[in-house]
Amino acid sequence: MVYIGPLILGFIIGFIIGTRIKPSIGSKLNFPASVYVILAIVIVIIAYQQGPFPWYTDSVFANGLISALAGIIVGKLTFGRG
Amino acid sequence: MTTTILKLFVFPASLVLICYGILTILGGHITPGGGFQGGAIIAAGIIFCLIVYGLDESPIKLSDNFMASIESIGALGYIFLGLAGLFTTGFFMYNLGVDLYHIVPPYIVNIFDYPDPLHAGIIPYLNFVVGLKVLVGLSAVVITFLESDKLLENMESK
Repeated sequence: MVYIGPLILGFIIGFIIGTRIKPSIGSKLNFPASVYVILAIVIVIIAYQQGPFPWYTDSVFANGLISALAGIIVGKLTFGRG
Repeated sequence: MTTTILKLFVFPASLVLICYGILTILGGHITPGGGFQGGAIIAAGIIFCLIVYGLDESPIKLSDNFMASIESIGALGYIFLGLAGLFTTGFFMYNLGVDLYHIVPPYIVNIFDYPDPLHAGIIPYLNFVVGLKVLVGLSAVVITFLESDKLLENMESK
């Protein structure tokens, strides 16, 4: 059974920060969806290497890390579009 | 001077930093670290973006209202958790989710219980609100410094 405490709190903090990721008007900087795809792969690798932090036994991943990134992406997609 | 490599690298790296800071907050009731340390790591990610991209072009934008709101939510959340213990047991900041003295009704314990195998009660929630306060507070310091040039120019023009 996956513990939902870290999943929910990690998602909320990630969501709060994700809502603040917005493109700048008139800026040449552009971070397309591919950035987030690569980031998701990197975070899953880190979460797997880290193991079920901190000393949980519910999964092979650090679930808080993955839920944090999920929160950032959902926050970006909902309120962070510009 | 900010190079193209820095501009490409810093935003994804700061998101990894932010996720790591969140993970530090989540493990605060068991491991070294917690709300302040995790919040500082998240703020480091935000400051990383602010330094490299500048205040105007930073992809992570913290407005005044946002910072004031999150800071207030953090402080009020902390006080709420303390007062909840005071009103139910007579002890400020009593850990309602653990209830060591067995003086709290079970339904209140269930409300403040943190759903993980350690059942640390309100400690993870305190870490959460402290983390919110710290991440905004430390970022606000750097944002103020970055805006100081504009403020000085305005003062000189007057």
